[in-house]
Amino acid sequence: MTNPPVGAKKRLQNMSDNLIIRLYYFDIIAIEVQCVMKVSLFITCLSDAIFPRVGEAMVRVLAKYGVQLEFPKVQTCCGQPAFNSGYWDDARETAKTILNAFEDSDFVISPSGSCTGMIHHYPKLFENDPVNKARAEKLQQKAYEFTQFLVQVLGVTDVGAVFPHKVTYHPSCHGSRLLGVKDEPMALLQSVKGLEFVPLPFAEDCCGFGGTFAVKMADISGAMVSEKVDHVKETEAEVLVGLDMACLMNIAGNLRYRNEPVRVMHLAELLAEGAKLA
Amino acid sequence: MSAKGALGTVKERAELALNDEFLRKAVKFTTERLRNGKKNAAGEHGNWDEWRERGRAIRLHTIAHLDYYLNLFVNNARANGVHVHFADTGADAVRIALSIAERKSAKTVVKSKSMVSEELHLNAALEKIGVEAIETDLGEYIIQLAGETPSHIVIPAIHKNRYQIADLLSEVAGEKLEADTTVLAGFVRKKLRERFLEADIGMTGCNFAIAETGSMVLFENEGNARMVTTLPKTQITLMGMERIIPSFQDLEVMATLLPRSATGQKLTMYMSAISGPRRSEDADGPDEMHIIIVDNGRSLQLGDPEFQELLNCIRCGACLNACPVYRHIGGHAYGGTYSGPIGAVLTPALNKNIAEWDDIANASSLCGACYEACPVKIPLHDMLVYLRRRKVEKGHGNKLEGAGMKGFSTLLGNAKRFRTVVKLGQIGQKLVVRDGGIRTKLGPLKGWNSYRVTPSLPKKSFRENWETLDQQIRADLKEMSPEMKQRMEDAVKRRGQGGGHHHG
Amino acid sequence: MADSHQEWLKQMEEESKAKQASFMAGIAQRLRHPVMTKAPEHPFRGAPDFWNKFEWDREEKIERFSANWKSVGGHVARLADMDAARDFIAEKAREMGAKYIVRQNEAELEALGLEAALPDARISVWNTDPDVYWKARSAEADFGVVIADHSVAYTGSVVVKSSKDKGRSVSLLPTVMMIIIPVDQMKTRLGEVLVAFDEGGRENLPAGIHFITGPSRSSDIENDLTIGVHGPGVVYALLVG
Repeated sequence: MTNPPVGAKKRLQNMSDNLIIRLYYFDIIAIEVQCVMKVSLFITCLSDAIFPRVGEAMVRVLAKYGVQLEFPKVQTCCGQPAFNSGYWDDARETAKTILNAFEDSDFVISPSGSCTGMIHHYPKLFENDPVNKARAEKLQQKAYEFTQFLVQVLGVTDVGAVFPHKVTYHPSCHGSRLLGVKDEPMALLQSVKGLEFVPLPFAEDCCGFGGTFAVKMADISGAMVSEKVDHVKETEAEVLVGLDMACLMNIAGNLRYRNEPVRVMHLAELLAEGAKLA
Repeated sequence: MSAKGALGTVKERAELALNDEFLRKAVKFTTERLRNGKKNAAGEHGNWDEWRERGRAIRLHTIAHLDYYLNLFVNNARANGVHVHFADTGADAVRIALSIAERKSAKTVVKSKSMVSEELHLNAALEKIGVEAIETDLGEYIIQLAGETPSHIVIPAIHKNRYQIADLLSEVAGEKLEADTTVLAGFVRKKLRERFLEADIGMTGCNFAIAETGSMVLFENEGNARMVTTLPKTQITLMGMERIIPSFQDLEVMATLLPRSATGQKLTMYMSAISGPRRSEDADGPDEMHIIIVDNGRSLQLGDPEFQELLNCIRCGACLNACPVYRHIGGHAYGGTYSGPIGAVLTPALNKNIAEWDDIANASSLCGACYEACPVKIPLHDMLVYLRRRKVEKGHGNKLEGAGMKGFSTLLGNAKRFRTVVKLGQIGQKLVVRDGGIRTKLGPLKGWNSYRVTPSLPKKSFRENWETLDQQIRADLKEMSPEMKQRMEDAVKRRGQGGGHHHG
Repeated sequence: MADSHQEWLKQMEEESKAKQASFMAGIAQRLRHPVMTKAPEHPFRGAPDFWNKFEWDREEKIERFSANWKSVGGHVARLADMDAARDFIAEKAREMGAKYIVRQNEAELEALGLEAALPDARISVWNTDPDVYWKARSAEADFGVVIADHSVAYTGSVVVKSSKDKGRSVSLLPTVMMIIIPVDQMKTRLGEVLVAFDEGGRENLPAGIHFITGPSRSSDIENDLTIGVHGPGVVYALLVG
């Protein structure tokens, strides 16, 4: 047998530090195994299909601190489009894939405040289904948006990134209002060396995405995103950063439509690129 | 005015508004002014969230015991000499108001701003029996002359510019008035003074009704509500059945929240508590006072866990000012008496005709700015979702959308099918991708791509690339610091204690 | 007609009382509890506790009140005593050419001796003659002179209560309001005044209680602030003491 790769050896060591085995010699033998915590990646369908680079950046940033994300492949979508449109039966169907995917996880990390916020709606979604409601409540406690986990749980604000550019930040509504993620991204941005931060005027105003709203009420949504982009332009920033790819896709789409050369990134990407993890 | 009567759908009405450059600018400017005023006032006052929490607690408590407090109010108002009436429906309220006007042989009624009266379309009913109803709030007076309805709870004529206003007032004056605010307001002052003094009936709304003393409270800036409650011999107050607060002490909380949230003022220029008609020796104030307590759909919310909190609303308009949708389309696009986020929920809730009003509930990106702005923390963004759900449950859903959602749950309810969809997208998009973006305005992308370029799908999805990435990561994973391990364990421990992690 | 109107009112009253019971029962039923007859416990009465402890000292109250009153477009004069108040009002009346003045029928205002100080002005005293149409008399007045029953520094508000001798019209209809504020009685918070209405009880409330926080104003035309839309556009707070 050949030697295991170096990485795997390290991992085994990690585990053994945390491995406690208790044996009870009665008529049954109970074995309690406590191993490293299971930190799972909730990629969200948008980042999975359209922005895999965001998931990759998250994985790399967290790996820097020894967090090895695990990726349950049975996950699909959080169900928000159906939930918000009123089709709760359909929302429950997809929400169950999320409940199943993260049943055993200790932490569930996603690159979206909105999709994490949707998990916070699960107990209400399953209010007439006690079994799944209990699962939903458990999952809600474990669900974190990326910067929430990085700053609140790991206590990291400086990932050692250098990013000598003029940057502005759009706080997405669900992350900032529903989850209260306001200080975390600011703390992370402030620690990036060389970064010149320009506040976005009327930053807290919705970009006009709103899921199916952008399709159903296309003109209102269009007016909102146009106003958002006007504000982005006012900052003269080279880079717009955010925490939610849905909103960023919306804003980037309008920037591109208007041929505005502003680069749009998820904060995880900025950190990974700045810390040369990409 | 019904949703249908007010020109098609909210989408069509919004389109009109979006194409009205003046309207958009005016609404934007006003809402920004009010929003900033509120922010500054709340900040200066301090502990804003504690005040909001207190306001919410008082409102929740009162509504949860509404039968007790309303009954107490009625008995105390009667003891003050008020004639109290109950109206189950808008039509009942109109009938009562008209019969009082007829009994009094009234020729004119002067009115101060009342959203309930707008809800009942009382002016039209009064005109029908030959009674002239005169709105006396400057903004309301202007839109009455224009034959329109308010487009904002607090600033009803937000959509009119001073040239339009000058034209309207010039017609009344019979001479050309200069489009100058002071001149126009001066004309209205003089004109309405005469009307106040000669009016037979004064009609008001009611901001709050104090259960323990039977007093009704009015907040205003112009003094017209004071005129209306001081000069005419008869006063009629229209009051939504949920306007109750227990005591004057509770009024301090409402007086702290309402003006700051509405206009950023510490207090409106006038706050009046009227406890019955004039005492027999007083030389002003009404001889006779009526309060009509209006249900008109409000009680439908009672006992409904998803909507009861709607009755906590204190009609400050802060949600309108915070709402990015309202800012772009203005109040009339909502098609009902109440506009903005509160209107989008209240109108269908009061009318119980979800099918007809559903399109209003769709005119929201669910950004939650309304909830954040609300001084009594009504979760309007959640209620909009509940409305949409109820409509679907009742079978009023859009068939195409319903099929779409069925497809959505089928395809996304299973990871393998999801993967197949993405795969098909990666191949299919080749027809439309140019330069890494999709610009076609055909089919479902029409609305979206009228304002945006859609990104193309990358060659590999995240899950397709996962094994490769995972191997790279595993190859040089560092060990986690003991301190971080501890932090993670602590976070897990906190969950059991009901704390969980921080969320809004 | 009077009789028949009274009869009609009585009939309406009976209908209303009959309706009252079913109205409340309907609410109780929706709230899923029996009709309540006893007061529920109300643990959140009034402002938060931390607020009720808040108080400014005398000078700070005067300063804050003045700053607030001025910030909304009102005028302030700090005066040593009632003689100074009389001189101030007389001076302003001459300056602005006030011919008609209406004042409340209060002993302190009587003692002021405005009549002697302004021999050329016509000064009427509220509700002293049953044949006078007092509302119109106030509407034509240039000045209305009143004394504040209470004042609140935090919001910059004065409070006037109606009675036989104190018309609501006097603080509302004239072009200029002159309000005398005894500074010794000034409160910090709104709640200090409001709680007294609870404690005094319904029977002791006047028909009208009015909090006035500055001149009548409106921003209804293009957000342009206009002063004096319906009520007095010029308001003087005379801080006495």
